[in-house]
Amino acid sequence: MATPWIVIAAYNESRVVGVVVAELRAAGYPVIVVDDGSTDGTAAAAGSAGATVVRHPVNLGQGAALQTGLEFALEQGAETIVTFDADGQHRVDDIPALCDALAQHQADFALGSRILGASLNAPLSRRILLKLATWFTRLSTRMRVTDTHNGLRAMTRRGAQALKLRQNRMAHASELLQQIADSRLRYVEVPVTIQYSAYSLAKGQSLGDALTILIDLIARRVHR
Amino acid sequence: MIAQFALTMLLLAVLLYAWRQYRRAPAIGLFAMLAALVGLYFVWSPGQATRLAEIAGIGRGVDLFLYLWVVISLLMLLNLHLRLRMQMEVMTELARALAIANARGGAPARPR
Repeated sequence: MATPWIVIAAYNESRVVGVVVAELRAAGYPVIVVDDGSTDGTAAAAGSAGATVVRHPVNLGQGAALQTGLEFALEQGAETIVTFDADGQHRVDDIPALCDALAQHQADFALGSRILGASLNAPLSRRILLKLATWFTRLSTRMRVTDTHNGLRAMTRRGAQALKLRQNRMAHASELLQQIADSRLRYVEVPVTIQYSAYSLAKGQSLGDALTILIDLIARRVHR
Repeated sequence: MIAQFALTMLLLAVLLYAWRQYRRAPAIGLFAMLAALVGLYFVWSPGQATRLAEIAGIGRGVDLFLYLWVVISLLMLLNLHLRLRMQMEVMTELARALAIANARGGAPARPR
Protein backbone atom coordinates (compact mmCIF):
# COMPACT_ATOMS: atom_id res chain seq x y z
CA MET A 1 0.00 0.00 0.00
CA ALA A 2 1.22 3.51 -0.87
CA THR A 3 2.41 5.74 1.95
CA PRO A 4 -0.59 7.47 3.48
CA TRP A 5 -0.88 11.24 3.57
CA ILE A 6 -1.66 12.66 6.98
CA VAL A 7 -4.17 15.51 7.19
CA ILE A 8 -4.23 17.64 10.33
CA ALA A 9 -6.66 20.47 11.00
CA ALA A 10 -5.13 22.98 13.39
CA TYR A 11 -6.34 26.15 15.03
CA ASN A 12 -4.06 27.95 17.48
CA GLU A 13 -2.02 24.81 18.17
CA SER A 14 1.44 26.35 18.03
CA ARG A 15 2.34 24.75 21.38
CA VAL A 16 1.99 21.17 20.18
CA VAL A 17 1.60 20.95 16.41
CA GLY A 18 5.35 21.11 15.74
CA VAL A 19 6.00 18.05 17.91
CA VAL A 20 3.10 16.13 16.34
CA VAL A 21 4.27 16.90 12.80
CA ALA A 22 7.91 16.10 13.61
CA GLU A 23 6.90 12.69 14.95
CA LEU A 24 4.85 11.93 11.83
CA ARG A 25 7.61 13.11 9.51
CA ALA A 26 10.14 10.99 11.39
CA ALA A 27 7.91 7.99 10.69
CA GLY A 28 8.08 8.86 6.99
CA TYR A 29 4.61 10.24 6.38
CA PRO A 30 3.90 13.27 4.22
CA VAL A 31 1.90 15.70 6.36
CA ILE A 32 -0.60 18.38 5.39
CA VAL A 33 -1.53 20.84 8.12
CA VAL A 34 -4.54 23.02 7.43
CA ASP A 35 -4.06 26.10 9.56
CA ASP A 36 -7.59 27.27 10.16
CA GLY A 37 -6.86 30.98 10.41
CA SER A 38 -4.80 30.71 13.59
CA THR A 39 -3.69 33.87 15.31
CA ASP A 40 -0.60 32.28 16.86
CA GLY A 41 2.39 30.71 15.15
CA THR A 42 0.67 27.42 14.19
CA ALA A 43 1.49 27.70 10.48
CA ALA A 44 5.15 28.51 11.15
CA ALA A 45 5.51 25.71 13.72
CA ALA A 46 3.95 23.14 11.37
CA GLY A 47 5.93 24.36 8.38
CA SER A 48 9.28 24.25 10.13
CA ALA A 49 8.54 20.73 11.40
CA GLY A 50 8.18 19.60 7.79
CA ALA A 51 4.48 19.84 6.99
CA THR A 52 2.92 21.30 3.88
CA VAL A 53 0.77 24.11 5.23
CA VAL A 54 -2.55 25.08 3.68
CA ARG A 55 -3.80 28.24 5.32
CA HIS A 56 -7.39 29.38 5.61
CA PRO A 57 -7.52 33.19 5.46
CA VAL A 58 -10.15 33.17 8.23
CA ASN A 59 -11.19 30.73 10.95
CA LEU A 60 -13.88 28.43 9.54
CA GLY A 61 -13.89 25.44 11.85
CA GLN A 62 -12.41 21.95 12.08
CA GLY A 63 -14.86 20.42 9.60
CA ALA A 64 -14.02 23.01 6.97
CA ALA A 65 -10.30 22.55 7.60
CA LEU A 66 -10.53 18.77 7.24
CA GLN A 67 -12.42 19.07 3.95
CA THR A 68 -9.74 21.47 2.68
CA GLY A 69 -7.04 19.02 3.75
CA LEU A 70 -8.78 16.11 2.04
CA GLU A 71 -9.21 18.06 -1.19
CA PHE A 72 -5.58 19.18 -1.16
CA ALA A 73 -4.35 15.65 -0.45
CA LEU A 74 -6.42 14.26 -3.31
CA GLU A 75 -4.99 16.93 -5.57
CA GLN A 76 -1.50 15.79 -4.57
CA GLY A 77 -2.40 12.27 -5.72
CA ALA A 78 -2.85 10.66 -2.29
CA GLU A 79 -4.10 7.07 -2.50
CA THR A 80 -4.59 6.75 1.25
CA ILE A 81 -5.37 9.56 3.67
CA VAL A 82 -5.26 9.53 7.46
CA THR A 83 -6.88 12.29 9.52
CA PHE A 84 -5.02 13.03 12.71
CA ASP A 85 -5.63 15.48 15.55
CA ALA A 86 -3.22 18.35 16.15
CA ASP A 87 -3.35 18.24 19.94
CA GLY A 88 -1.12 15.21 20.41
CA GLN A 89 -3.77 12.79 21.68
CA HIS A 90 -3.31 10.30 18.83
CA ARG A 91 -0.46 7.83 18.48
CA VAL A 92 1.60 7.58 15.31
CA ASP A 93 1.94 3.84 16.00
CA ASP A 94 -1.78 3.35 15.30
CA ILE A 95 -1.52 4.51 11.69
CA PRO A 96 -0.16 1.24 10.18
CA ALA A 97 -2.99 -0.75 11.79
CA LEU A 98 -5.58 1.60 10.29
CA CYS A 99 -4.03 1.36 6.82
CA ASP A 100 -3.63 -2.42 7.06
CA ALA A 101 -7.31 -2.70 7.97
CA LEU A 102 -8.26 -0.93 4.73
CA ALA A 103 -6.41 -3.54 2.70
CA GLN A 104 -7.37 -6.55 4.81
CA HIS A 105 -11.10 -5.81 4.81
CA GLN A 106 -11.15 -4.17 1.36
CA ALA A 107 -12.72 -1.22 3.11
CA ASP A 108 -12.71 2.45 2.12
CA PHE A 109 -12.75 3.72 5.69
CA ALA A 110 -10.93 2.52 8.79
CA LEU A 111 -12.32 4.33 11.80
CA GLY A 112 -10.27 4.53 14.97
CA SER A 113 -12.13 3.36 18.06
CA ARG A 114 -10.98 4.18 21.56
CA ILE A 115 -13.69 1.89 22.90
CA LEU A 116 -12.19 -1.13 21.14
CA GLY A 117 -8.74 0.18 22.05
CA ALA A 118 -7.99 2.38 25.03
CA SER A 119 -8.43 5.92 26.23
CA LEU A 120 -5.88 6.97 28.79
CA ASN A 121 -6.72 9.62 31.39
CA ALA A 122 -10.29 10.06 30.08
CA PRO A 123 -12.43 11.87 32.66
CA LEU A 124 -15.92 10.58 33.47
CA SER A 125 -17.66 13.58 31.83
CA ARG A 126 -15.86 12.87 28.57
CA ARG A 127 -16.83 9.19 28.69
CA ILE A 128 -20.50 10.05 29.28
CA LEU A 129 -20.48 12.59 26.44
CA LEU A 130 -18.93 10.01 24.14
CA LYS A 131 -21.58 7.43 25.06
CA LEU A 132 -24.36 9.91 24.27
CA ALA A 133 -22.75 10.87 20.95
CA THR A 134 -22.32 7.22 19.99
CA TRP A 135 -25.92 6.46 20.86
CA PHE A 136 -27.11 9.40 18.75
CA THR A 137 -24.93 8.41 15.79
CA ARG A 138 -26.07 4.80 15.89
CA LEU A 139 -29.66 5.97 15.91
CA SER A 140 -29.29 8.54 13.12
CA THR A 141 -26.94 6.66 10.77
CA ARG A 142 -27.80 3.02 11.60
CA MET A 143 -24.05 2.39 11.69
CA ARG A 144 -22.88 -0.04 14.31
CA VAL A 145 -19.94 2.03 15.46
CA THR A 146 -18.49 2.07 18.95
CA ASP A 147 -16.81 5.47 18.77
CA THR A 148 -18.04 8.55 16.95
CA HIS A 149 -16.03 11.71 17.50
CA ASN A 150 -12.63 10.12 16.99
CA GLY A 151 -10.45 12.16 14.65
CA LEU A 152 -8.10 9.29 13.87
CA ARG A 153 -9.29 7.55 10.71
CA ALA A 154 -7.88 6.27 7.44
CA MET A 155 -9.56 6.29 4.07
CA THR A 156 -8.86 5.31 0.52
CA ARG A 157 -8.86 7.82 -2.30
CA ARG A 158 -12.33 6.61 -3.28
CA GLY A 159 -13.51 7.07 0.28
CA ALA A 160 -12.16 10.62 0.48
CA GLN A 161 -13.79 11.47 -2.85
CA ALA A 162 -17.15 10.35 -1.46
CA LEU A 163 -16.93 12.89 1.36
CA LYS A 164 -18.11 16.48 1.12
CA LEU A 165 -18.19 17.95 4.60
CA ARG A 166 -20.50 20.94 4.85
CA GLN A 167 -20.60 21.13 8.61
CA ASN A 168 -17.79 23.58 9.23
CA ARG A 169 -17.56 23.08 12.96
CA MET A 170 -17.70 20.14 15.32
CA ALA A 171 -20.77 18.49 13.79
CA HIS A 172 -18.56 17.36 10.91
CA ALA A 173 -17.70 14.12 12.75
CA SER A 174 -21.34 13.04 12.76
CA GLU A 175 -21.80 14.30 9.21
CA LEU A 176 -18.78 12.29 8.09
CA LEU A 177 -20.29 9.10 9.48
CA GLN A 178 -23.62 9.93 7.85
CA GLN A 179 -21.88 10.39 4.50
CA ILE A 180 -20.06 7.08 4.93
CA ALA A 181 -23.41 5.42 5.61
CA ASP A 182 -25.00 7.13 2.59
CA SER A 183 -22.08 6.21 0.31
CA ARG A 184 -22.59 2.52 1.12
CA LEU A 185 -18.81 2.11 1.02
CA ARG A 186 -17.32 -0.43 3.37
CA TYR A 187 -15.96 0.69 6.72
CA VAL A 188 -14.24 -1.07 9.55
CA GLU A 189 -13.41 -0.04 13.10
CA VAL A 190 -9.87 -0.43 14.38
CA PRO A 191 -8.75 -0.27 18.03
CA VAL A 192 -6.66 2.81 18.74
CA THR A 193 -5.34 4.48 21.86
CA ILE A 194 -6.24 8.04 22.76
CA GLN A 195 -4.00 9.69 25.29
CA TYR A 196 -5.72 12.65 26.93
CA SER A 197 -3.61 15.42 28.36
CA ALA A 198 -4.62 18.58 30.21
CA TYR A 199 -4.00 20.42 26.94
CA SER A 200 -6.17 18.14 24.77
CA LEU A 201 -8.95 18.09 27.36
CA ALA A 202 -9.03 21.87 27.44
CA LYS A 203 -9.36 21.84 23.65
CA GLY A 204 -12.02 19.14 23.64
CA GLN A 205 -15.79 19.30 23.52
CA SER A 206 -18.15 20.14 26.35
CA LEU A 207 -21.85 19.45 26.88
CA GLY A 208 -22.60 22.91 25.44
CA ASP A 209 -20.67 21.97 22.29
CA ALA A 210 -22.72 18.79 22.05
CA LEU A 211 -25.88 20.88 22.02
CA THR A 212 -24.47 23.10 19.26
CA ILE A 213 -23.60 19.99 17.26
CA LEU A 214 -27.17 18.75 17.64
CA ILE A 215 -28.59 22.09 16.44
CA ASP A 216 -26.20 22.12 13.47
CA LEU A 217 -27.23 18.62 12.45
CA ILE A 218 -30.94 19.45 12.72
CA ALA A 219 -30.45 22.69 10.75
CA ARG A 220 -28.77 20.73 7.98
CA ARG A 221 -31.76 18.41 7.74
CA VAL A 222 -34.26 21.28 7.58
CA HIS A 223 -32.25 23.15 4.96
CA ARG A 224 -31.27 21.83 1.54
CA MET B 1 -62.07 47.27 8.61
CA ILE B 2 -58.85 49.27 8.14
CA ALA B 3 -57.02 46.88 10.49
CA GLN B 4 -58.39 43.91 8.56
CA PHE B 5 -57.03 45.29 5.28
CA ALA B 6 -53.67 46.14 6.84
CA LEU B 7 -53.34 42.64 8.34
CA THR B 8 -54.41 41.09 5.06
CA MET B 9 -51.67 42.95 3.18
CA LEU B 10 -49.13 41.89 5.81
CA LEU B 11 -50.18 38.24 5.70
CA LEU B 12 -50.21 38.24 1.90
CA ALA B 13 -46.62 39.51 2.03
CA VAL B 14 -45.75 36.65 4.42
CA LEU B 15 -47.47 34.20 2.09
CA LEU B 16 -45.46 35.47 -0.88
CA TYR B 17 -42.23 35.32 1.13
CA ALA B 18 -43.01 31.77 2.33
CA TRP B 19 -43.83 30.66 -1.20
CA ARG B 20 -40.50 32.03 -2.44
CA GLN B 21 -38.64 30.25 0.38
CA TYR B 22 -40.38 26.92 -0.24
CA ARG B 23 -37.79 25.60 -2.70
CA ARG B 24 -34.86 26.44 -0.39
CA ALA B 25 -36.37 25.29 2.89
CA PRO B 26 -39.51 23.26 2.16
CA ALA B 27 -40.51 22.60 5.79
CA ILE B 28 -40.24 26.25 6.82
CA GLY B 29 -41.90 27.50 3.64
CA LEU B 30 -44.82 25.14 4.06
CA PHE B 31 -45.38 25.94 7.73
CA ALA B 32 -45.15 29.68 7.13
CA MET B 33 -47.62 29.42 4.23
CA LEU B 34 -50.04 27.43 6.36
CA ALA B 35 -49.71 29.87 9.25
CA ALA B 36 -50.32 32.83 6.92
CA LEU B 37 -53.36 31.18 5.34
CA VAL B 38 -54.84 30.35 8.74
CA GLY B 39 -54.11 33.94 9.80
CA LEU B 40 -55.96 35.28 6.74
CA TYR B 41 -58.93 33.09 7.56
CA PHE B 42 -59.01 34.36 11.14
CA VAL B 43 -58.73 37.99 10.06
CA TRP B 44 -61.86 37.69 7.95
CA SER B 45 -63.71 35.28 10.27
CA PRO B 46 -63.01 36.66 13.75
CA GLY B 47 -65.96 34.69 15.15
CA GLN B 48 -64.35 31.43 14.10
CA ALA B 49 -61.06 32.54 15.66
CA THR B 50 -62.81 33.23 18.95
CA ARG B 51 -64.58 29.85 18.89
CA LEU B 52 -61.35 28.03 18.12
CA ALA B 53 -59.51 30.03 20.79
CA GLU B 54 -62.13 29.02 23.37
CA ILE B 55 -61.73 25.37 22.39
CA ALA B 56 -57.93 25.68 22.68
CA GLY B 57 -58.32 27.43 26.03
CA ILE B 58 -56.61 30.61 24.83
CA GLY B 59 -59.47 32.98 25.59
CA ARG B 60 -59.91 35.47 22.76
CA GLY B 61 -59.59 35.15 19.01
CA VAL B 62 -57.22 38.10 18.91
CA ASP B 63 -54.86 36.25 21.27
CA LEU B 64 -54.92 33.26 18.96
CA PHE B 65 -54.01 35.55 16.10
CA LEU B 66 -51.14 37.02 18.12
CA TYR B 67 -49.81 33.54 18.90
CA LEU B 68 -49.98 32.73 15.23
CA TRP B 69 -48.00 35.87 14.49
CA VAL B 70 -45.31 34.82 16.95
CA VAL B 71 -45.07 31.44 15.20
CA ILE B 72 -44.68 33.14 11.81
CA SER B 73 -41.98 35.44 13.23
CA LEU B 74 -40.05 32.51 14.68
CA LEU B 75 -40.21 30.65 11.39
CA MET B 76 -38.90 33.69 9.56
CA LEU B 77 -36.11 33.98 12.12
CA LEU B 78 -35.18 30.34 11.59
CA ASN B 79 -35.17 30.91 7.86
CA LEU B 80 -32.84 33.87 8.32
CA HIS B 81 -30.52 31.66 10.36
CA LEU B 82 -30.49 29.06 7.58
CA ARG B 83 -29.75 31.71 4.98
CA LEU B 84 -26.78 32.87 7.04
CA ARG B 85 -25.54 29.30 7.07
CA MET B 86 -25.81 29.23 3.30
CA GLN B 87 -23.76 32.42 3.05
CA MET B 88 -21.18 30.78 5.30
CA GLU B 89 -20.97 27.82 2.93
CA VAL B 90 -20.24 30.17 0.02
CA MET B 91 -17.57 31.91 2.08
CA THR B 92 -16.05 28.54 3.02
CA GLU B 93 -15.79 27.51 -0.62
CA LEU B 94 -14.07 30.79 -1.44
CA ALA B 95 -11.64 30.54 1.47
CA ARG B 96 -10.87 26.92 0.58
CA ALA B 97 -10.18 27.72 -3.06
CA LEU B 98 -7.90 30.56 -1.99
CA ALA B 99 -6.06 28.42 0.58
CA ILE B 100 -5.48 25.56 -1.85
CA ALA B 101 -4.41 27.91 -4.64
CA ASN B 102 -1.88 29.55 -2.32
CA ALA B 103 -0.52 26.19 -1.14
CA ARG B 104 -0.36 24.90 -4.71
CA GLY B 105 1.64 27.91 -5.77
CA GLY B 106 4.07 27.35 -2.93
CA ALA B 107 3.23 30.69 -1.36
CA PRO B 108 4.71 30.85 2.11
CA ALA B 109 2.26 30.57 4.99
CA ARG B 110 2.15 33.94 6.70
CA PRO B 111 1.30 34.13 10.38
CA ARG B 112 -1.16 36.93 11.08
